[in-house]
Amino acid sequence: MAKESKDRTGGEHELIRELAELLNDTGLSEIEIERAGLKIRVARHLTVAAVAPAPVALSAAAAAGAIAAARPVEAASHPGAVKSPMVGTAYRAPEPGAAPFVEVGTRVSEGQTILIIEAMKTMNHIPAPRAGTVTQVLVETGQPVEFGEPLVIIE
Amino acid sequence: MFDKVLIANRGEIALRIQRACKELGIATVAVHSTADADAMHVRLADESVCIGPPQGSESYLNIPRLLAACEITGADAVHPGYGFLSENARFAEILEEHGITFIGPTSEHIRIMGDKIAAKETAKKLGIPVVPGSDGAVTSEADARRIAKAMGYPVLIKAAAGGGGRGMKVARSEEEIGQALQTARSEARAAFGDDSVYIEKYLTKPRHIEIQVFGDGKGNAIHLGERDCSLQRRHQKVFEEAPSPALNDTQRKRMGEIVAKAMQKLKYRGAGTIEFLYEDGEFYFIEMNTRIQVEHPVTEMITGLDLVLEQIRVASGAPLSLTQSEVTFSGHAIECRINAENPRNFRPSPGKITYWHPPGGLGVRVDSGAYQGYTIPPYYDSLIGKLIVHGKTRNECMMRLRRALSEFVIDGVETTIPLFVELVRHPDIANGMYDIHWLERYLGKP
Repeated sequence: MAKESKDRTGGEHELIRELAELLNDTGLSEIEIERAGLKIRVARHLTVAAVAPAPVALSAAAAAGAIAAARPVEAASHPGAVKSPMVGTAYRAPEPGAAPFVEVGTRVSEGQTILIIEAMKTMNHIPAPRAGTVTQVLVETGQPVEFGEPLVIIE
Repeated sequence: MFDKVLIANRGEIALRIQRACKELGIATVAVHSTADADAMHVRLADESVCIGPPQGSESYLNIPRLLAACEITGADAVHPGYGFLSENARFAEILEEHGITFIGPTSEHIRIMGDKIAAKETAKKLGIPVVPGSDGAVTSEADARRIAKAMGYPVLIKAAAGGGGRGMKVARSEEEIGQALQTARSEARAAFGDDSVYIEKYLTKPRHIEIQVFGDGKGNAIHLGERDCSLQRRHQKVFEEAPSPALNDTQRKRMGEIVAKAMQKLKYRGAGTIEFLYEDGEFYFIEMNTRIQVEHPVTEMITGLDLVLEQIRVASGAPLSLTQSEVTFSGHAIECRINAENPRNFRPSPGKITYWHPPGGLGVRVDSGAYQGYTIPPYYDSLIGKLIVHGKTRNECMMRLRRALSEFVIDGVETTIPLFVELVRHPDIANGMYDIHWLERYLGKP
């Protein structure tokens, strides 16, 4: 009797271990199997906690917002990211109707104006911190920007 | 009522303001430095704007950045909290110029009360008793000696541009006054950019008793009772209670009426606190703070009035919620300021909170923006939360406080909770027998 149960326990341990590995490998949270009078359920314990809502970081319009929201996470950590030194409203061109300062592909020299950020009726020219090529433009004209927000990527 | 309020502060008071706004249905904007991106109030606010790097001058004290944040979010009012720009008359003025409401008093009143000499003059004119001292600034050492001799030593030399416990030097005798005056001046110049000083009689065993006032800006003003904030370390309050165990009802009513009348005459708007030193039955005005104070919750607990909500309502033009006769006081409340500091040497202890379990139950309130996993930044003051308890009597309150402290767990950083655990067991504290020197004397003991 003892031997039998020992064998059975040993077999179950093996199976449970296999199932646990399967859980990790597949990323599933629960696996349940049933065979010959034995049912085993292996579950990953998920902590359910109240999630403090993430703040709505600024975005001009819903569409622009959706695009802008997806980018900043990777853009902010990009080594070529030029981050906003101030709070204000971004403008890509010197005045409405004029050509933007830079586009994707524009070669810039250090100090060249890439954007204007306006705060309280004063226009602030944002210079390129180094020479290079603009590979991404992350803001639209009229978009509010915060300190540290990535504006363009220069590589 | 405002549509959107920008919270120009951080930490526990920012969360406090966020809560009041939400209860009024007002949208909130949390401005923050890069160091505060994970602050609880930032997470809970409707919108957030990063306004700069950690340094105050580049963020919470930076008027252009705050204004720009108002502009891009369309905020129609700003609540400045306490500290930072809350008593900056220029900031209040600039906001008004831009059509944004500053939730607080007029810039004129901020200015008058910000200059401690002018404040004392104004208090005198309004019939509030003041500490005997120089009539205005002391301009020469000879003057200082003359005044001190007439009043009698010890004397206190105070910076006119100081306040909040800063910029004060004691001179115990004729021998000390020359040096004290010089030091006070140079420290004042360095800290406040203004070396004007005045002299006051130094009271030996006073209590610090302050009275909460509220005005609607149109000539109506009420008082909401006093708070006893005598337990201080380096002029910073550590433990506050309401009502003061040292006062009786007659004194309370008398002083309350004096300050309420003074605020009515002044046509004061918003929340304010008139601070006194109290010794041998006499009250002496030291200063007025034209903002919400850290220890406001003890007044809320005994009056049932939400003071921050009231600030917002009054700023939007509404009348005061209560007339003086409707103000009632119920029970007793105590607040302990929990700092992230070593409880023996008070060295700051910023870092990650690995375990956070605040106390709960009837009459227990924790005002804090901290949470498990939160990293306390090293750039700002060390206050991480306030534990406030209320009881039907002072005794019940003390028992509740003892119990609440025993449940409060904060791991990962050092806090001053152990200090409070000791204090609530001390007979002097249990009996309410302490003055403004008590705590430093207690801590000085080996």
